[in-house]
Amino acid sequence: MNNIIGNSLVLLSLMTSLSTSFLFFKKNYSHYLKTYIASCIFCFFSFIFLIYCFVISDFYVSAVYQNSHTTKPLIYKIAGSWGNHEGSMLLFICIIALYGFAFCYFSKNFDNKFKYLTVFFQNNLTMIFLIYLFFLSNPFDYVSSDPTQGLGLNPILQDPLLLIHPPFLYFGYIGFSLILSLVLSGLINNSFDSVWAKLSKKWVIISWIFLTIGILLGSIWAYYELGWGGYWFWDPVENASLMPWILSVALIHSLLIMERSNTFKSWTALLAISTFALSLFGTFLVRSGILNSVHTFANDPERGLFILGIIILIIFFSLAIYIFKSDFVEKKNNIMFLSKENFLVFNNLFLILFLIIVIIGTVYPIVLSAVANQNISVGPFYYNTILAPFVFIFLFLMGTGPLMKWYKNDFNAKKNLIISIGLISCILALIISYFSSETNIIYILGLIFSFYLIVATIFELFSSKNQFNFKQYLSKNLSHLGFGLLILSITLNSFFSKEYNFMINVNDKYVSDDLEITFEEFNISKDINFDQFSTIFKIKTNDKSFTLSPSIRKYNQPEQLTSEISIKNTLLKDFYLAINYSSIGNKRLIGARYYENFFILGIWISSLIIVLGGLSRLFIRK
Amino acid sequence: MSTNTNKRIVIFLISIITFLIISKFLFSALRENTIYFFSPTEVSDLIKLPNKKIRIGGMVKKDSINEENKKYNFIITDFNKEISVTYSGILPNLFVEGQGAVVEGNLISRKTFVGTKILAKHDENYMPKEVADSLKKIGNFKRK
Repeated sequence: MNNIIGNSLVLLSLMTSLSTSFLFFKKNYSHYLKTYIASCIFCFFSFIFLIYCFVISDFYVSAVYQNSHTTKPLIYKIAGSWGNHEGSMLLFICIIALYGFAFCYFSKNFDNKFKYLTVFFQNNLTMIFLIYLFFLSNPFDYVSSDPTQGLGLNPILQDPLLLIHPPFLYFGYIGFSLILSLVLSGLINNSFDSVWAKLSKKWVIISWIFLTIGILLGSIWAYYELGWGGYWFWDPVENASLMPWILSVALIHSLLIMERSNTFKSWTALLAISTFALSLFGTFLVRSGILNSVHTFANDPERGLFILGIIILIIFFSLAIYIFKSDFVEKKNNIMFLSKENFLVFNNLFLILFLIIVIIGTVYPIVLSAVANQNISVGPFYYNTILAPFVFIFLFLMGTGPLMKWYKNDFNAKKNLIISIGLISCILALIISYFSSETNIIYILGLIFSFYLIVATIFELFSSKNQFNFKQYLSKNLSHLGFGLLILSITLNSFFSKEYNFMINVNDKYVSDDLEITFEEFNISKDINFDQFSTIFKIKTNDKSFTLSPSIRKYNQPEQLTSEISIKNTLLKDFYLAINYSSIGNKRLIGARYYENFFILGIWISSLIIVLGGLSRLFIRK
Repeated sequence: MSTNTNKRIVIFLISIITFLIISKFLFSALRENTIYFFSPTEVSDLIKLPNKKIRIGGMVKKDSINEENKKYNFIITDFNKEISVTYSGILPNLFVEGQGAVVEGNLISRKTFVGTKILAKHDENYMPKEVADSLKKIGNFKRK
């Protein structure tokens, strides 16, 4: 019964979506927007209905059968609706529709023709994915085997963060679908100019905020839930979300030039198209089973090929429109070499370089395994060594660029200022290096350059001449400040964090330098859907003494072991303990991984400041 | 020649040089940091033993694990060739006899391997992707 309702909702959405495009071709605009909104609403209802099926555990619905279980807590039944390929696809479509829906209501400043075109493109995106969903990946498929119980949700995914991490990422990725539609209709409508840039920028920033939060949540999830002991591993899955993020930052900065001087248009259009293409590519990479990760749902090559086909189709059409419509006559500008414009150009060049580095590291192993049938992996050291020097220069440009003037060469007038900021940051870096007694050159350079950006940004914040000026640059200053703090925290973290791995028996002691860890006791308890093996460890370092109590859960549906970590937070560092248990050999022998992670709090907070910068752009009126 | 053309040539040359330096830098970093994966069969076919860190993977042979003095010995097999591994680190939760595993470390000979890390990332079928691929290659792959 519920299969039929679900399927009809999806079909209704598909039909209304088809009629929207039909009305557009017939140039019948009187009911055009209403039809589109109806299609969006059917889409929302089909997703809400899927959640309902999960809540009531209707195992005749295939997505529920494969990913749910009656013993699962209610909140994970709900989260389970997007914790699988079919459901997440439906969520994906819903968000495309949601952006189109929001655009209809918040686009008063655009003229009607432009609006209709944008809705048309957005609607076509919904339609393509709906067709895919209905025929190849339908969550409402009927389970004929008379199921009484579902197969359960991967225990690693049973975490409160799963409720919000994927939706945030999706809101980020898919936000760029609207940017794509805006660019394409701007190109066709011949209104791709500085006014367009001004009106579209807020949509870019909204998507960017969601994407940033999504990546941050993923990082927090890996640290606290997966027990990986760190915040970033250059895992291909993480890279897949970082690639569109880098491009979206480039896009925001190139929009600034376009808004200011009505130039740089082809480049901006290309960036916008590529950002959405990379978002799709990232989703495809992660979901298709090419990579090995907890994010992988679909292992069906037919689906993977179909999604790849859709991506190629979208990119092909976008590029075709771009090639035919982007022959802008850009007026010759005699921009001085060291003007603000050129610093923004440098920003874009560096971001593209970062992107290339990440793409090569991510895609090279995939290509090699497809072409040469050889499996390799690229270690994190590749990214760290190669990115570090460029990030340092990037930080300097980020601090210096905003001090420059638009159009004019103002470098000489600001020379003394730049030198004094440089001196202050050198002194700060040397003080910290002295007190931390660490003299590695990369470490000191990292400190100097991140302080340079921080000091320059704080100087700008407090030297603004008036209220207007302060508000105008607040969001930029916050985001730049956050980025400086982020690199500072990452530098400190990577040079001071320690890791200890050891095997231990109950009542045993592990001693290393001034660290002493005692495994005091353990006990076994039962919960609804898992058995818990919990432990108590006593940790003694220099002057502190405290207990940590990590545990291992054995989920019964499906059967799987997960490690629950235990952390003691202090302002400066986290004491982090994760245990592993292997049923081999001595039954009580526990594998323990103990970390002292520095400035993790700093990493989270500085990322939040970056997000805050974006938010302030949306909510503070200039 | 006008100054404008001169300027362009200079900019062009600088960009070419920068490009070359960056790509040299990039690819040498890439080469140094790639870790190759081999199945036991591929290891036995190697002409020369690699002198850097590699990964091997296959199924953990049943009843092959033994522990002595917090040191583990076990056998990785692809049902064609076998490699015996010594490992003194922590066994991850998902490391179970009769299931797939990937070990990072150094080859001592074609038959012995010293592991420094066991990779614990699996899909739902407890099968690392590299292992599934290599088993498929020699035709010993069975999906559960």
